[in-house]
Amino acid sequence: MKKRVLWTIAMGLLIAVCAAGGVTAADTPGIGDTEIRIGQWAALTGPAAAWGAVARGAEAYFKMINDEGGINGRMIKHLVFDDQYNPARTVAGIKELVEGPGVFAFVAGDCTACALAARDYLVEKKIIWMALGNAWSIKPDRHFFFIYPNYLDEASILVKYAVESMGKKKIAFFYQNDDYGKGGLKGAQQQLEKYKMKLAAEVPVEPQDRDLKSHTMALKNAEPDAVILWVNPTSAVIMRKTAAAMKFAPLWMAPSTLADPALMNQITSGLWEGTIFSCLAELPDADIPLMKKYHAAFEKYVPKGERWGIMYLAGFGFAEPLVEALKKVGRDVTTDNVIAELDKMTDFKGIFGHITFRPEDRQGQKEVFIAEALKDGKSKRLSDWIKADR
Amino acid sequence: MLWQIVIGGIAVGSAYALIALAMVIIYKTSEVLNFAQGDMACLSTYVTFMLLHGYGLPFWASLPLTLLFAFVLGACCEFLFMRRAKDPTVLGLIIMTLSLEMILFGLVSWKWGSDQRELPFPITSYDTFTIGSFFVSRLEVLTFAVALVMMVLLFLFFRFTKTGIAIKATQLNRDAARLMGIRTNRILMGTWGLSSVVGAVAALLIAPASTLDPYMMWDPLLKGFSSAVLGGMTSLPGAAAGGYIVGIVENLFGTYVSIEFKSVVAFAIIVVILCIRPSGLLARHYVKKV
Amino acid sequence: MDMKRSHYEDIRLFSSGVVFAWFVVFLAAMAAFPFAASWMGKNYYIYMANYMAINVIVAVGLNLLVGYAGQISLGHAGFFALGAYGTVLLMTKLQIPFVIALPMAGLVAAGFGFLLGLPALRLEGPYLAVATLGFGLTVTQIIGRWDLFGGRQGLHAPPLALGPVTLAGDFDLYWLIVPIAIIMTMAARNITKTKVGRAFVAIRDSDVAAHTMGVNLTYFKTLAFAVSAFYTGVAGGLYAFALGFIEPQTFNLMLSILFLSMVVVGGLGSIFGSVVGAVLLSVLNLKLASVHNLPLVGPILLQLSETWFTVSGLPNFQYVVYGLIMFLIIVFEPLGIFGFWIRTKIYWKSYPF
Repeated sequence: MKKRVLWTIAMGLLIAVCAAGGVTAADTPGIGDTEIRIGQWAALTGPAAAWGAVARGAEAYFKMINDEGGINGRMIKHLVFDDQYNPARTVAGIKELVEGPGVFAFVAGDCTACALAARDYLVEKKIIWMALGNAWSIKPDRHFFFIYPNYLDEASILVKYAVESMGKKKIAFFYQNDDYGKGGLKGAQQQLEKYKMKLAAEVPVEPQDRDLKSHTMALKNAEPDAVILWVNPTSAVIMRKTAAAMKFAPLWMAPSTLADPALMNQITSGLWEGTIFSCLAELPDADIPLMKKYHAAFEKYVPKGERWGIMYLAGFGFAEPLVEALKKVGRDVTTDNVIAELDKMTDFKGIFGHITFRPEDRQGQKEVFIAEALKDGKSKRLSDWIKADR
Repeated sequence: MLWQIVIGGIAVGSAYALIALAMVIIYKTSEVLNFAQGDMACLSTYVTFMLLHGYGLPFWASLPLTLLFAFVLGACCEFLFMRRAKDPTVLGLIIMTLSLEMILFGLVSWKWGSDQRELPFPITSYDTFTIGSFFVSRLEVLTFAVALVMMVLLFLFFRFTKTGIAIKATQLNRDAARLMGIRTNRILMGTWGLSSVVGAVAALLIAPASTLDPYMMWDPLLKGFSSAVLGGMTSLPGAAAGGYIVGIVENLFGTYVSIEFKSVVAFAIIVVILCIRPSGLLARHYVKKV
Repeated sequence: MDMKRSHYEDIRLFSSGVVFAWFVVFLAAMAAFPFAASWMGKNYYIYMANYMAINVIVAVGLNLLVGYAGQISLGHAGFFALGAYGTVLLMTKLQIPFVIALPMAGLVAAGFGFLLGLPALRLEGPYLAVATLGFGLTVTQIIGRWDLFGGRQGLHAPPLALGPVTLAGDFDLYWLIVPIAIIMTMAARNITKTKVGRAFVAIRDSDVAAHTMGVNLTYFKTLAFAVSAFYTGVAGGLYAFALGFIEPQTFNLMLSILFLSMVVVGGLGSIFGSVVGAVLLSVLNLKLASVHNLPLVGPILLQLSETWFTVSGLPNFQYVVYGLIMFLIIVFEPLGIFGFWIRTKIYWKSYPF
């Protein structure tokens, strides 16, 4: 008898949990009198959970904006859900947010595959999307704005710096076997063709591989003097360690995804020193008032124990253009007004590079700068913002 | 270069061998596939991290504490989880280990977040010895040595100690063992504890070569499965041999055939071996009595 | 539990007029649901219904293999992937219309199921589980790396044309997916009542005894795998269109475990149970995406996180929930939710004694 009672209670709770959350609100397209609803999806759990920090950074940013009085009298409501890098959940979550409370715009969202699955729905519902992605992966649309520099651009800038400024002759490419890695690969190949050179080696890797000895041997046998690591942080770390064990020491280069010198230094036990990397945002310890302000917001709103690094920074950076456009539009916020305002944006500089949107070219940021990783997680800027010449 | 690859394969195979050993120890006594192996080991490694980083203990103090924790964790898992089911089917046991795995994974990720971390290990993974023209890192030598020592210890334990023989008796016929006065419940708890300790040692040796994050044991776990299947799920030397073979074959395949399909080899081995020789290379095939 | 007095009564589709009446009500509710949802402006519910229907097909198919035939499969994500990729590739590369491509992809999956069934003849218990696990992982890995399948970039599903009509959007897809789910569930139930179904149950209870009674183990075991794979393949094909985009990372070990848990939580050996299990776990899967927004327990969990755990790791709580549900079901009610239903029925039938 007692078991049955327990069971009924358990079932009841389960049903209550499932049924709740479907609470409806007004059917506005994300704009109310006193609030603007901005949605975001992120991989908060699962193997890509480190990227979830972007969502937490954005949350801190919006709280900071709200503390300053909101935007033209409206507070920002930030709705985040966990998609675990699974497109089915992304689509479900997006639909739930759009049809439930209603969302005016989506910001970031790091999983490209999930974005591709959701793309058609966002177009159909006419929702602005400030994408953490670029036109290489996602087909553009009137409502999409790409902020992250094109992988091809970034790779070509890295290669150009390696060949022209550092005089490297043989460059090898270590890439993740998906569109992120392949985009970088293509960019590198295209840039090298201009110098009538080819890549010394092209080695793919799967993110969950923990044993990279064969990959390191393949790179080492090509005897390059520079290796570009176009992978996720874990693979980069394992590669560095394996290479150090095999006494293989070329010049290591990396793109913005690995531009977190403090973290990389810590998890490679100091091996990261000397890496040349390209960065799409100002360095976390840069001496800029805006960075200091964001750092203060981070300290205030993000739970203790999190580390100020590029992921959190990126959360701020991806939301900046939208907030700027909303401020300029004034009280009369509609989708078309904001799109028009964004399309006028020229050389907007927050903590990312200069962002310019035009109706025919929504790739907002086309520049990165080169930096070098120093001891103890510090970094030194080596160049000014460089644009790709593709 | 061939020998460099083989040496690399042996090094990584040692880690797989340890995980396979841990699995086989449990399989021999409880006849259950322990999917939670990886996460139990991962939790123990995070405990080490917490002791080293949070409490500032030296490594030589943290290690015994971690192994003790691993033993208790294994025993608790058996006591709290596996024993609660009354007469479970094979599928039921698998589901139970899967659920245990999910719970442990959820707890580890919840407690420590998802940032990658570095385990402060006394031996870095890139100090190397040079033998002729081959490089072997100190960590790899340590892993190999530890695996060998572990195998010898386990062999001696099962062969010559009373508890070891009691474990074998429990495996052969649990009811008869009980009638003989062996406390099978304690034996089962001890077996899980032992397996957890071996798994924790394996994880502690894998973590310095990569990063410490909640899912670092997923891939090695599957490779460990593959090794155990290859060598024979009921044979300890088979599991160890399977680990080395999988490590070497994988590396050879990755270098000479195709680096893209390197990971597929381990899983394809599982399928192929089970088709050709289900009991594995070194285990005896048990014919079922009707 | 009700006594059947003749063979005809046993194989009847609806065991009584009351059940038939409830079934008609159910069909009417299913038919009215999308209209009600879109009238309320909540197309999201239709998407969820599609997702649940697809999971129902998989759960029913897997239950035929696991619950009725007593085998184990940890690799059904592989069949799911084969169905999804098969349908999309047949339509895009060979220009085969959807109506033919979907069953063909199902048959391809069934073929692989047959191949997997062959070693299953010699394996049992944990070995079978590991073999299916290896198969599922191999399929996913190969699909992920072979450019024919679009690699990690994935494939977009082509427009779904049934003759002159093009289906686009959740509302249209609902009318395709849910009727297929209902028909396949009814077919599965009929299978269980025929000679094939009885052979499966005999194999589950004791395959040696079944063999001595003349049940052809080779034929029926491979048939069980093939039928289960067919169901999963068809579901995979529908999934490709419900989502619009497929990529290899979705078909991983976690998906296989999810399928298996749907069957186990719902009830092994019961079609009704696997339907309920599929619905329940699909809802949980989608709803637990934002743990901190849960009504009762959200704030408690947040507080707990701040003191003992990390707040950023809180979404991982969903894994703990899944694990606990699976564990509690196995321990307290091995027959799953269906077992609970049976117990309730028995209790009320013999009330007040």
